[in-house]
Amino acid sequence: MITYLFLFFALLALGTAILVVTNKSTVNSALALVFHMLSIAGLYLLLRAQFLAVVQVLVYAGAIVVLFLFVIMLLNLEKEENLFAEFSFKHAAAFFAGIAVLAQLLYALGSWTGVLPEFADQMIAIGTVEAIGDELFTTYLLPFEVTAILLTAAVVGALMIAQRKLKSRDQ
Amino acid sequence: MVENILNSIGHFYPEISIVVTLCVVIIADLLLKRENHTISWIFLAGLTVTGLLVLQQTGLNTSIFHDMAAVDPFAVFFKVILIIASLFIVLFSINSRELDPYKSRLGEYYMLIAGMILGMFLMVGSTNLLLIYLAFEMTSICSYVLAGFTKRALKSAEGSIKYIMYGAVSSGIMLYGISLLIGITAATDIYGVNASLAAGIDQPMILYIAILMIIVGIGFKIAVVPFHFWAPDVYEGAPITITAFLAVASKIAAVALMIRLFKVSFMDTASVQIIGDWPIFEGLNWNMLLAFMAALAMIAGNLTALKQDNIKRMLAYSSIAHAGYILMGFVVLTDEGITAIMIYVFMYLFMNLGAFYVAMLFSNKLNTESIEKYKGLGFRAPMECIAMTVFLIALTGLPPTAGFIAKLYIFGAAISAGWIWLVLIAGITTVISLFYYIRVVKNMFFFKSDGISEPLVFDAGSKVILFMLLIPVLLFGIYFTPIIEFARYSLKMFGM
Repeated sequence: MITYLFLFFALLALGTAILVVTNKSTVNSALALVFHMLSIAGLYLLLRAQFLAVVQVLVYAGAIVVLFLFVIMLLNLEKEENLFAEFSFKHAAAFFAGIAVLAQLLYALGSWTGVLPEFADQMIAIGTVEAIGDELFTTYLLPFEVTAILLTAAVVGALMIAQRKLKSRDQ
Repeated sequence: MVENILNSIGHFYPEISIVVTLCVVIIADLLLKRENHTISWIFLAGLTVTGLLVLQQTGLNTSIFHDMAAVDPFAVFFKVILIIASLFIVLFSINSRELDPYKSRLGEYYMLIAGMILGMFLMVGSTNLLLIYLAFEMTSICSYVLAGFTKRALKSAEGSIKYIMYGAVSSGIMLYGISLLIGITAATDIYGVNASLAAGIDQPMILYIAILMIIVGIGFKIAVVPFHFWAPDVYEGAPITITAFLAVASKIAAVALMIRLFKVSFMDTASVQIIGDWPIFEGLNWNMLLAFMAALAMIAGNLTALKQDNIKRMLAYSSIAHAGYILMGFVVLTDEGITAIMIYVFMYLFMNLGAFYVAMLFSNKLNTESIEKYKGLGFRAPMECIAMTVFLIALTGLPPTAGFIAKLYIFGAAISAGWIWLVLIAGITTVISLFYYIRVVKNMFFFKSDGISEPLVFDAGSKVILFMLLIPVLLFGIYFTPIIEFARYSLKMFGM
């Protein structure tokens, strides 16, 4: 059963990833990206990392891709330009970076044994929402609270920069 | 678990007070009229309370929130310095004409300064890599916005954007370095990092890369060569109060962070032979790298400062050079060196803030930051010009000012540790620095002002602030024993 689920999610992830790159319309690409993120979340679940799966859906599929969509719609991008119309140093660098990633992947695949690894109970216990919540509100309480202030400061800063007109006496 | 957190709160009052001030400022900004400086005074009161709470922490030596941060003499020393700098910045802001068109935004301005102070407080105290990064980012994000505060001035917006770009890249690199370090040592607190390095690790190469990446991030904050390229543009563009704050407080906080991080994580505690020396792990000569960076900073900073006409830009390059002098005390790897750094930053605080303050006073009246336009000012505003001369002489490091004592101790520490080539470079560049500092003095006193000769009048308040900066610079040049005692006492770090 798990093998079939894995195959389903893996193929979905692969297919949607190809769609993200090949699709002509940027909106469709972004939507394909949502499905890609969701299938990755499914893979995380199969690996028993429930917290990671939830965060993947909430943050990536939820917040980030929606932000992408907003930007695409606001900027009103029509057709993407043909990337390979002219050759530049950037493309060459991207090509070699791609080769490097591919080599890494193939190297990792070399150690494939054909069965999913066994999960130790300890490993599973780390990845639960309870365990992470527990750590977050005891050991890592201070960083957690500091993050709150950091985000407040960032929001105020962003508002200040974004506000177009300053209300002041001498205007 | 819970007891630890509850006990920790008792040692966390200064930070809590800053957060409360931050909230009060936001609320006060909504409720109060924005025409006057009431909000500045509220903020000043908040800072004073925080300062008193910091002073109450003297003598503590403990770790709080499950080894997230330490409250030790070392942290308290730097917190005192940071709070003094912050108090002066608020006083500067009240007197600044540059900020007047933005009076309606003073709430945000002080709120972000409070955020920055919180970030810096955590920087000097944190003993956990996670918190170190968060504190770092807190300081950075607030300062990006503050640098672009006068956003109708094009230079300010330009500087802010450059700062964000440069800062985002270097904090990304630093974060990657930190993640590598956590990966190979399997510890997030720096004591754990030290223990696992002492036990030996398999992949030293990755460790070198991690250290290098962390140095990039911290080097950016200290603005030391070769990570200084943002500094001149940001310093020139930012309002002068923020420039002074960046040049003093954020630099000093980053230095403190670096000392604690490197000393605790990378010191081989098992092989201490001479008390006061701290041996480093075999094959981990990060201090050589820092020595070259310090030398480059002294050379590049001082040589480039020679050609500047904008006083803020000149002081920016001079602060890069000073970062070099400060680092010099760090590469010698002795307690003497750290003491020298602490003395240096204490003196640097007053003299650099002083120079920026006088520049701000002139900019208020003359609307210029060009050194050429200072011609003849010596006759129109004699007292301010004499003060400026004292600050610049102190920055050069000549007696009888505080700057001389600062340089004396740094050079002494480096000589006694045998870093002769570094001291030679430092000595030569100090002489070079005399040229550009004295050029300002020459322009003020040795030229007749063309046409205009009515004296510039400054109000009593601004004179009081001037004296609050001038007196320490002169006093600590003669009577400096308490500072040295204070610095020696503050060497103690938790767990060392």
